[in-house]
This record gives sequence, C-alpha cells and structure tokens, in this order.
Amino acid sequence: MNSKEMNLKSTEVWDGNMANSQALRQADVDVIAAYPITPSTATVENYCTFHANGYVDGEVIMVESEHAAMSACIGAGAAGGRVATATSSQGLALMIETLYQASGMRIPVVLCLVNRALAAPLNVNGDHSDLYLTRDAGWISIDAFSPQEAYDMTLMSFKISEHPDVRLPVISNQDGFMTSHTAQNVTPLKDEVATKFVGDYVQLNALLNFDKPVTHGVQTEQDWHFEHKAKQHAALMGSKKVIEETFAEFKELTGRSYKVVEEYRMDDADIAIVCLGSTFETAMLAVDQIRKDEGIKIGIVSPRLFRPFPLEEIAASLQNVKAVACMDRSAPGGTVGALYNEISGALINSPSRPLVTNLIYGLGGRDMTVTGLKDIFRTLDKDAKDGKINGKIQTLIGVRGPALEYYDVEGK
Amino acid sequence: MNKPINEMGWDELVPGAALYSFEGDIDYNIAEIQPEDRFYSETSSQSMSVGDWRVIKPVWNSETCIDCQNCWIFCPDTSIIARNKEMKGVDYDHCKGCGLCVSVCPTNPKSLLMFEEYESVENALGKWPEKKKKGE
Amino acid sequence: MSTQKVIKNLKSFSTAAERFEGSHLLCPGCAHSIIVREVLNATNDNLVVSASTGCLEVCTAIYPHTSWDCSWIHIGFENSSTAMAGVETMNKALRNKGKISKDTPTPKFVTFGGDGSTYDIGFQWISGCFERGHDFMYVCLDNEVYANTGGQRSSSTPIGASTTTAPAGSVSYGEKRQKKDIVSIMAAHGSPYVAQVAPNKWKDMVKKIQKGFDTKGPVFINAMSACTTEWKFAPNQTIEVSDLAVDSLVFPLYEIIEGRELNITYRPKNIIPVRDYLGAQPRFKHLFTPQFEYIIDEWQRRIDERWVFLQKREEIRL
Repeated sequence: MNSKEMNLKSTEVWDGNMANSQALRQADVDVIAAYPITPSTATVENYCTFHANGYVDGEVIMVESEHAAMSACIGAGAAGGRVATATSSQGLALMIETLYQASGMRIPVVLCLVNRALAAPLNVNGDHSDLYLTRDAGWISIDAFSPQEAYDMTLMSFKISEHPDVRLPVISNQDGFMTSHTAQNVTPLKDEVATKFVGDYVQLNALLNFDKPVTHGVQTEQDWHFEHKAKQHAALMGSKKVIEETFAEFKELTGRSYKVVEEYRMDDADIAIVCLGSTFETAMLAVDQIRKDEGIKIGIVSPRLFRPFPLEEIAASLQNVKAVACMDRSAPGGTVGALYNEISGALINSPSRPLVTNLIYGLGGRDMTVTGLKDIFRTLDKDAKDGKINGKIQTLIGVRGPALEYYDVEGK
Repeated sequence: MNKPINEMGWDELVPGAALYSFEGDIDYNIAEIQPEDRFYSETSSQSMSVGDWRVIKPVWNSETCIDCQNCWIFCPDTSIIARNKEMKGVDYDHCKGCGLCVSVCPTNPKSLLMFEEYESVENALGKWPEKKKKGE
Repeated sequence: MSTQKVIKNLKSFSTAAERFEGSHLLCPGCAHSIIVREVLNATNDNLVVSASTGCLEVCTAIYPHTSWDCSWIHIGFENSSTAMAGVETMNKALRNKGKISKDTPTPKFVTFGGDGSTYDIGFQWISGCFERGHDFMYVCLDNEVYANTGGQRSSSTPIGASTTTAPAGSVSYGEKRQKKDIVSIMAAHGSPYVAQVAPNKWKDMVKKIQKGFDTKGPVFINAMSACTTEWKFAPNQTIEVSDLAVDSLVFPLYEIIEGRELNITYRPKNIIPVRDYLGAQPRFKHLFTPQFEYIIDEWQRRIDERWVFLQKREEIRL
C-alpha cells in the first residue's frame, strides 16, 4: 500500500478519468509509463498530481509515444512488478503491435482505454472504434458504463490480470467524454480496503529474479507457434471463470453486482437491443419510458465482458426475444458491425432464431438520445410484430442526408 | 522438467514461450562459475550442436601454441576453450568452421590450421607445416 | 578506478566464464557474437539484456533454445531500448518500495540493437530513453545494413555500398546518402558517455565498455560489426576487415564525455588508404571501375576531413 493514504469521502464526485486515476493509485502500481491523448489525458494527469504530492510510491515515466508507453510497460512487467497505462484512439492504434506482444508474452498489464473515434477525419470524441481495434489482440476487455463502473472495473482489472491462472493483460474501457468527462457520484473503497482487495503482485519469470535467468520474447517457427498461440487462447478463454469469481468477491465487498453479460428488463422482453458503454444507461431510461407509455416490452443486453466473448451467455440471454438490434458505435468498414457479427455468431448454433439487425450510431461522439432510442425501439417492435425485417439488415442511424441501408434479407 | 520439451503439449509449456537457461534455481553468480560446473536446462542452446555446419575444421597444435588467447576472444561461437589462462582445445560441438581462429593465430607455424572435416586430428597434427622463414 | 573486474591483458580476460552460449544460429564469422562476448565478459555483475528484432535476437532465441545465460527480453524491432527503460524503472520502483533489498547490487542493464533498429525504426525510442536519462548501456551492432532480412539499406549504409534496395547497377553506384553520424546525435542528447568501438581492438573496446558500465545514466556504444554475409567477404576475414576499417580511419575509435570532451582512443601507426578498406569488400567492388572510381576519391577526401575535425575537436576539449 502507498505510504501516504488519501482520505476519501464515502461518496465522491468523480468523472471517469478521475475514477481511473484513483483506482490506479489505490492499486499500488509499481510503474506507469504513459503518453497524453484526449480524452484519456486526465487519467494520467491526475495520477501525476497524486505522485507529485506523495500519494504514489511507484514510478511514473512520461514517454515519447504511446508505442513507447506500452513497450516500457511490457519491459517493466516482465521485470517483475505491477504496471499500467492509459490511452485512446490514435494512441491505441499506434501501440497496437505492442498489444499483441504483451498478450503473447503473457505479461499482466492494465490499460485504461478511454474510447474515442479513430481518424480520419480526426475526432476526439467518444465512440468504440478503438475498442473494436483491440478485438484480436488477445487482451481481456471489460466495459464500464459510468464513472462508478470505471473505478470498479479498473480496480478489478489488476486482480484478474495477475491471477496465476490468467497472467494476461486487461483493457478497462469507458466512453470518451460521455463517461470520462462526466462527473457523477462514485462510492470508492478506502485505500486500505482497495489495496487489500487487489492483493500483492506475485512475480512469475521475472527478469529481476537472478536466481532464475529467463528469456522473454522468443521467435517461434512453424513447429512451435501454434502451441503457444493455443495456450494463450486457452488462458484467455479460461479467464472468464476468474472474472466471474472476481465479480463475486467484489460484490461481497461492496454490494455492487456485475455480470459478464448485463441485462436490463429481459425477463419479459419481446425484443432487445445489444449495446456497449454509456448507451446502456441512456437506454435504461428509454426502456422504462416506452414500456410505461407504449407498452413495448423491450430489454437491453450488453457483453460487459467483451473479451473473452461470452458466447453462451449472450445466446442464452436472447433466446426468448423475437427481434434484436445490435447497436455498433464504430465505423463498420465495409461490413456489418462487430456486435452484429458476434451476436449472430452466438445465436446461429442455438434453438432461437430472432430477427437480427445492425444499427450504426453515435460515431465521433454524436449523441444517442432517449428520443432516438425510442424510435429504434418502435422500428424493432414493428419488425417483430410483422415477423420480418422491414428495411435492410444494416442501417446508419442519425446521419444527415439520404438514408443509408445495406444488405437485403435473403429470400425476401 | 521431467519430459523432454519436444514431447510436451501446449498445456505443459511455460506461458509466453519463456525459456530458462538453467535447471532449477541458481544460488551462485554464473559469471564466477565455468560452464562445465553449471546445470544447464535442455532449452539452453549450449546443449545443441552446430558442428554439422562445418566442411572444414580447425585443428589445434598445443606444441607451437603460446596461449596468447587471440583465438579465444575472436571466436564468434564460444568454441575455443580457455582455462587458467591456457588454451585447452576446440569445442567441436559448437564450432562452425569459420576459420577466424586460424587467421588471428600469431605463431609461426600457426597453432591452429583448417583441415578437411573428415581428417582425424592425429593425421592433421602429423601434417603440420614447418616454421616459415622470413620472406617466404 | 573501475568498479568492474580488472582485465590486465588478454590472458586474464580469457579466464571469464562465458554467459553467451555457442550453438546460436549466427553466421560463421559473425562479428555480432564477438562484440556480445566482449561486452558480457567485461563484467561479473548481474545482467539484464534486451535486444531488438534482428540477427542477434533471431539467432539466439529461437524456441526452444536460448543462448543467453542471463535474463533477456525481446519485444519488437523499435523498442529494445524502451523495454530496458521499463526494466530499469521497475528496478528503481521495487528498490524504493523495499521489495528489492538496498544491499542487492544493482544489475547492469544492456541493450543490443542493429543499425536498422538504432539508426532508423527505433530511433525515436532510443532518443526518448536518452532524454529521460535511464541508467543503461545501448550497444548498436552496426553492420550498415538490414542484415537479418537479406541486406537492405539503412541510414547507416555508407555512400557507394551496394545493398538489395540500393543496388549498384549500370546507372547507379549503390547508396547515394552519407552514413548518419549517430555518435554525434547521441552525444547531443547529453549522454554522459558515448563511444565508437570495434571488436578487433578488444582492449580499447573493453576499456570503453567498462567505463560505460561505471557511468551513471544512458551510455551509447556504436560497435562496428563487419558482416561476412552482407559485406561479402570470407568468414575468416572478419578481424582483418575490421583492422582495415580502423586503420584507414573509416571507423575511427573515439569517445565523447558529457557531450563535450572528445578523446581519440586509437591512432593507427600507419594510416592506410580508404581504397584498401573498400577493396576488401565485394559490396564496394563496382566502385573500382572507371565509371565510379571518383566515389573512392570522394571517400578518401571525406575521411581525411573528418579525421582533421576529430583531432581539432579533441584539441579544444569542446
């Protein structure tokens, strides 16, 4: 635990960035190597202020690029200690090769990713393009919908990452600006309680352990590569169990309950949307209103655990609905969105065959309002009642100009 | 490690493809212990041989050798064995036959010369040239 | 007085217990391993070594074998320096937190990178590490090409050399650009110690390595690595070509202290013509034709000018 404790109030008012910073501080990180980029910058700035005022015993190095930030984290993590960094968008894109390297080398690192649109055009606001870019990098990826959740997820990320059965790096996601710059009530843990929950870092194959010299970052040929990637995949898939155990332990400690797949009013839902990030909370308002006012029985599903993808739980959550709209907040790049693909992939081998559509929305920080969501719900409800997708499979929602829709339903 | 690594499945490998140089933990300073007293792991390259790279090999003549250690320092393959400031011989498991040891040997005649791989050391020593006279 | 072990002469140096194992996959006659052996044998301290993607990394750590008898890390092509910065910072953090006892001697942090990594793709990373002042030694293994991928040009490739991406041909004499002066660039970062070394002059090299190990802060060593495969000479000529390089002053051996004081550490008894150095390597053979011979004269003129410059700088101590 840091030698100087910070006396937190039982309810603080923090934005998502401060939530990250406080979780990082309480986690007693040994080395943070970081580079500033909007909208994640404050995560690092707050942490540096804590450091300058003696609240952080670990080291902070401000490196010369995001690629260098993750490279230093991998080196420091391999040396044998707790490491973390934060970034967004272009910075994430710059460090992408190092993400693959970190997970392949099985180095525990926590990355606070404040989700922001990817250029071009250049845009500093919140969308999920950077989250989607990390899909195949072999990292555990968890999504927070609010500053409270950002604090909780970032804290839990260390425990998950360093677990002996996992030893994989973790991304703690939150929406840029919508979460990172929105101050809300946060109930933090006391320093001592938080540090104890995260636990001590346990070294494994540490470079600084001279009793056991170790070679990290080898080259493999065709006779060995597959075994190591298979082992990595097995660890990533198996981490779900550890994540659920960590969620359970966290609930014991705080009363806050998290699931790998979050649901809202799915028990009696006829139709559902699937989404990530702050849209989930906006949708909760829209769902309550439309149920009350128009009797449309809609629910929300979200894969809070994005990687490893909870395919079975997603399939189970959507068994009883007649239509699902998968809402992707990222430029789709010539095909259907990631959530559409992953949800459809989950449902194809299950008994249920709901109508599945893909909505592209909110790019570059464009708001998804309660009103906008209610329109989406009405369209979805009509599809369900008609027993068919009335439009095309993919629609770009809320864009000025002629309607943009793609992919006819086969056999229509 | 009980099983040779080549027989291991993905589940038995060290995560991250990390490799250990030595068996178990070491409680000594490696830099103070010569290789023959170390306990190498099977994953140290020391246990492999690259001798089959050669078509010619260096043969060492201890009689003309002055232990200058030029061959020791300039061998790229750690294949010149030096102990107690004396040249002890060539490590044929690790020697690739580059011939640098011969080119840096200062004695006349040289104390290291290249011979065909199939030539026995005994025969090679029997064929050793005489001292070169000045101007030769 | 060095805190490193005393190396009086080659015989006493030969008592070193090697920490770089044989049966790596480097070419027969490769200077990289001569350099690595000299560096690692110069100290008995605990070592953490990092390397960039390149000949050294690829040939010493192909699963399931490692040639390193010390902790070693490779991440990628650009970032061996930053990897070491991370290790060095973690060491600092763990010592400050008491997780590593203050009685434990500090290990030596050594990073190896080829010229491709150092001069080109990894330059920003090294610059950042040196600006931040991490306590480590960076050794550039300079063979003046991207050797591991078959000999493409780098910004270390000297003018007139034929490489696969700047080959000599009927209308081209190969590389058109001058070699980047990496030593001056690193000295300008305020590094407390930078030096140029060659493995054939082992005594000069080991002295500088030990000085580097004794220096606090980021140390840059540019090590000439004559490459039998890409410079196209026979494997047993590596030391001979290296001798030609330092004796013709193509590769002068000097050090710069605190970015200011320059010391020339090797003055050849007989300075040989640059032509002899170029003539020993088939990568320059096309220069020995009437069409391109003027390049050799250009070379000699530039080497002469630079030697005058180095001597002047040494004189004025700035």
